[in-house]
Amino acid sequence: MDTTTAVPGIETIDSPSRRTLPYHLMKHPGDDLVDRFLEAFGRVLEFTDYKPLLDSYRRSNTKCNRCAVACPVLQASGDPKDIPCYRTNLLLGIYERYFTLDGWLKSRFSNAFELTEEIIFEMGDIFYRCTACRRCTRVCPLGFDHGLITRLGRYVLSLVDIVPKALQVSVQEQLEGETHNTSKVPRAGLLDVLEFLAEEMEEMLGVELEFPTDREDRDYVFFCAVSDYLMEPDTLMGNAAVLYASGDWDRWTIGLCNYDGINYGLFYSDWHLENIIKQLVSEVDRLRGRNILIGECGHASRAAHDFIPTFMGSKAPPVLNFMEYTLDCLRKGKITLDPDVITERVTYHDPCNIARSGWIVEQPREILRSFVPDFVEMTPRGSDNLCCGGGGGLVSVDEIHEFRMDIAGRMKAEQLRQTGAEIVVAPCANCKKQLKELVEYYDIPCRVAGLHDLILQSIVIPGGISPMERKERADLFTI
Amino acid sequence: MEAWLDFAKGPLFAFTFGIMIAGLFRLVFLQVYHLLVKKGRRLKDVPWMAMVRESLSWVIPVRHIEPGTKIFSIASFLMHIGVIVVPLFLLDHVVRWERFLGLDLPAVSKGTADILTLLTIACSLLLLAYRTFRARHRTVSGPVDYILLVLVLLPFVSGYLAMHPALNPLPWDVMMLTHILSAEVLFLMIPATKLAHVVLFFFDRISAVHWQLRPGAGDRVAEALYGEEVRI
Repeated sequence: MDTTTAVPGIETIDSPSRRTLPYHLMKHPGDDLVDRFLEAFGRVLEFTDYKPLLDSYRRSNTKCNRCAVACPVLQASGDPKDIPCYRTNLLLGIYERYFTLDGWLKSRFSNAFELTEEIIFEMGDIFYRCTACRRCTRVCPLGFDHGLITRLGRYVLSLVDIVPKALQVSVQEQLEGETHNTSKVPRAGLLDVLEFLAEEMEEMLGVELEFPTDREDRDYVFFCAVSDYLMEPDTLMGNAAVLYASGDWDRWTIGLCNYDGINYGLFYSDWHLENIIKQLVSEVDRLRGRNILIGECGHASRAAHDFIPTFMGSKAPPVLNFMEYTLDCLRKGKITLDPDVITERVTYHDPCNIARSGWIVEQPREILRSFVPDFVEMTPRGSDNLCCGGGGGLVSVDEIHEFRMDIAGRMKAEQLRQTGAEIVVAPCANCKKQLKELVEYYDIPCRVAGLHDLILQSIVIPGGISPMERKERADLFTI
Repeated sequence: MEAWLDFAKGPLFAFTFGIMIAGLFRLVFLQVYHLLVKKGRRLKDVPWMAMVRESLSWVIPVRHIEPGTKIFSIASFLMHIGVIVVPLFLLDHVVRWERFLGLDLPAVSKGTADILTLLTIACSLLLLAYRTFRARHRTVSGPVDYILLVLVLLPFVSGYLAMHPALNPLPWDVMMLTHILSAEVLFLMIPATKLAHVVLFFFDRISAVHWQLRPGAGDRVAEALYGEEVRI
């Protein structure tokens, strides 16, 4: 293999693909890319708090390589450029060379590395091969957060226009477009969907209801990944069924000015992250809502839960993931789930953004065990579970479908097959999309569902049709 | 030679040890300064206890030995025991610490120190072999990574040989001088290289703190780069 030295202490693999940007990224970096990259990096260091982190990492990076065993992308690709430590070192090397005194001194005494367009292109490539699942952090003896470094690298790259088109187009619509959401769902479209969902629920559950929109002074303002309104009606109806059955129907609302919980800023940009958070909070303020209730979406939950307090300080409204709400209802006896409805073997996939930190691991399991008799665990499970292969925004990039299937998701597919489950519960819009593609690609006899899809089937609705009767009707319909 | 030994044990030792302490203090100070002064107001939500627990759990990393890293992890762990225990608690070192700093440290027996030294040497060689013969390790390794491992090995090998005349091919004072000088080079290297993880390991682990981004920073970066015209 042909090798050239790119970063001090690092061998980089030279290949023709490194000469140009991958096709899914913006392609207008201009002639002075290196200068602009360094200027952007300098400005980021000047105004943000990343410098001490980089100082600590560059000084103590022992490069023990333990992270290599934890990375599902690397396990599948076998390509050394996918080693988390290698990727982190690319950015640390540039930081050391251009933004530290000793790095500059070293460069005076030796023929040190110089940043080139090729290295920037390489970063554009490998920072978007990482799914930012942060599994490597759990096995790093020093606790290096390679996901955070990947994100920082992507942030600087985005400042020189190197960013996946799919993400860029989505956030542009979310922040500047008329619809203020990533899927361009107009308000009239949303109202149509909600009307459709209400009709479906009436037919299915036997109760009449109207989705509460733009109601003020409610306890919960609901946000989901806006794509759920188009792709995951069962999950939404499951959410609504819990709110109805628990008697909380008058306590929640959906805002009509902003109804998208997606925040791609979490994956690549501080600026976008903060502005999308502000947009979301301003909607809650407009409606004088007291809590933010996030639907089944891992990154939307993490973005709101972790970054609303960061950016809004003491003004921050509390954030609840819907599974926490459902578990609370279950424990208080506000809802009942029929354990005879779901007879298939069910397993649970932990979305990285809510499970890696240990935030939401046991809650969905407690719910599932209460009404699913044949529940099996994946190995590994919980905070150590494998990424679906579509994390970090990758699932939105259709151009890399092959990479997501063949490499990023291969370990997940194998793990899923080994459970022998007929249903995999994935309470995350991104994971659902990736897993649906994976089971089809690898021909795994398993259905992907949200947790609330199963709850919709099993929940007892006061005054409505019983779950078993609903099941019999559905079976009849299927036949 | 005796004068050289005295010089190495005396002024040179004090100088290099002082540099190491000052260098490490500087690294810790910069990190703590940043945390307390710059991020201070935003630290209340950080899960400090969880991070301390996590850090402590790596002191005896039994639950962290993953499939695929077993040999490497055990070798690395044993090496670290020797690297910490022998320089601090070997009887001859304890005497020096007491004379030099007035510290009254307990001493391990000579036999224990010998076993730990040999273990450290063997484990370091194993780690060196990993870096040399495994492609994945080579990919992330630069010259410094090999040099430092050898540098860590040197005081252990020379110290062991100096204490075991039957095995020592060189005169005792030459070996002892090598031992002291190599340790002193190591002192200088610790704050300037990745060996600084001796104090920075805790600061590496607090990424939850670094995820607490600074409000408004994104706006300022965008404004500095693009002026009024914000590009989405």
